[in-house]
Amino acid sequence: MTQRRRGRPSLSQNTSRLQGGDMDMEEDVSFTQTLTQAQRNLEKHSPEQISLKVGELVQYLLIRDQKKLPIKRADIVKNVVKEYKDIYAELLLRAKKALLEVFGFQLEEIDTKAHIYILINTLERGEGDDLKVNDNTAKLGLLTVILSLIFMKGNTAKEVAIWETLRRLRVDPGERHEDFGDVKKLVTDEFVKQKYLEYNKVPHTDPPEYEFRWGPRAIKETSKLKILEFVSKIQQKDPKSWVTQYRDAQEIPRSQAPRASTSARS
Amino acid sequence: MSSRRSSIDEEHEENHMDGDFEVEQDDGSRRQIRHQYRELMQNMQQNRDDMLSSRSNKLTDTLQAANQLFAEVFKPREAALDAQLLVLATNLGKEKASQLQADMTVFDPTSFAEDLLSFMGINRLENPDSDSEDEACAKGYLGADAWKKLGTEAEKYFKRTPTFHFMLGSFKTEPPIVRQKTDRQKRTSKVAEKKVMPAQLKKMEESHQEATEKEVERILGFLQTYFREDPDTPISFFDFVIDPNSFARTVENMFHVSFIIRDGFARIKLDQDKLPVIEPINQESGSQVDIDNQPRYQGVISLSHQDWKEIVDTFEITEPMIPPS
Repeated sequence: MTQRRRGRPSLSQNTSRLQGGDMDMEEDVSFTQTLTQAQRNLEKHSPEQISLKVGELVQYLLIRDQKKLPIKRADIVKNVVKEYKDIYAELLLRAKKALLEVFGFQLEEIDTKAHIYILINTLERGEGDDLKVNDNTAKLGLLTVILSLIFMKGNTAKEVAIWETLRRLRVDPGERHEDFGDVKKLVTDEFVKQKYLEYNKVPHTDPPEYEFRWGPRAIKETSKLKILEFVSKIQQKDPKSWVTQYRDAQEIPRSQAPRASTSARS
Repeated sequence: MSSRRSSIDEEHEENHMDGDFEVEQDDGSRRQIRHQYRELMQNMQQNRDDMLSSRSNKLTDTLQAANQLFAEVFKPREAALDAQLLVLATNLGKEKASQLQADMTVFDPTSFAEDLLSFMGINRLENPDSDSEDEACAKGYLGADAWKKLGTEAEKYFKRTPTFHFMLGSFKTEPPIVRQKTDRQKRTSKVAEKKVMPAQLKKMEESHQEATEKEVERILGFLQTYFREDPDTPISFFDFVIDPNSFARTVENMFHVSFIIRDGFARIKLDQDKLPVIEPINQESGSQVDIDNQPRYQGVISLSHQDWKEIVDTFEITEPMIPPS
């Protein structure tokens, strides 16, 4: 059973891949066994069955990504992996590889405690690629404005301040919007559930005040520098002219770089 | 500075109430103070540029001079002059501060919003609801695609995975909501016909299912018999399913054979002439594979009435291999 005769070659791998001690193995403590144990578990299933499961997992992740809601490991196990739980780590590793090689999508774990995943596009957008423009496009416009306000105001923004600016853009939390419907719900619920925004009560406020911060998906899908570029383009200024924000944006890659290389330690 | 200013009134009140603190000032020295104040202010206005220069301490010097002068002030008239000087100094201070930041832009949400509106293609000349007095809602008409336009630009700054859509439209990615269905079923079953309808339906379904199952088993029996009789000659798929006397029975046969293939009792493959042949699968060899996780293969065979006739002629089929039951 070491060599495979058929099946999808891109998804199929030798069990020796495991010895790389990949980060996913490290993270999934409860699913981690010793190498020999993992190998023994792998041998319980035929290579065809495993590659079929990986295919199912890839499909599941793609479908779940449509709503941009984060994907929980518990759901993956419950809905797809099922009785293959003993080789979950290997299945996820292969699905991750397939997503990256076939679709150019990076599977990112945005919460290493609750094990929550999202998909990120690694491919550059081409000019005039004619991707479908729909309501989600408009929503992304609104989201970008909010992210810009949060970042430019020093990484947190009071809810009242956000609405004040949005009202100037004909977006009022009390009115139904043509593109966004219930805007208040979109901003404080949908964007929050999608992990684009964090929406929290300001401590010791009565009546309660709320403030926004960037959510983990926003940090993965875009960056402070990108948002600064957006603001600069809109305001027709040099990104470097916002001295404080530019310095803040520059700090991001430095703090993220060491994390990526030593991520196995987390 | 402000604390000093707010204390002016208090001091005066105290002075009036408590005679011991009343200091008699002659008009001459008061005039002298007023003169000095006016001089300071004139100096400030005449040497604006000097005052604003980041290299000079003139503004601080002036304020200090005024502060010394204030020690002599006891009457409102002089105090008012002091306040006037402060207003002047504050304005200069503000200007000086903004000059300092000339090389560094301060984020202003209002101008950001204005620039966003311009980007979204606002038509500032047209205004459908011109009586809107709301200050926040500036004048101008925003097109219907304004946010989509902004969103299209925003997409360039995101590494967002594109969502796909189904080529034939209406299929949704989320499962249908089950709750409503069960509610409705319960209600209707409560209302009437509890006894008759379900009983009838169940029976019909069962008998239909059974008929299909029986037929599939009967056909599988034929296939296995033929194969046992002559295990070395592959059975042509067409020979097996086609009934030369009936197109309808041919289609039915193909339908039933599809179950045999699906359940893994037989497989269809192509022979050296690229013609489909069918053979039963030895069940024991594959039994350890659980049925749920078996790989499933699908194929579609279309057969028109014309095709059927041609196959009957070409393969010279005279007798059906599956006799009608």
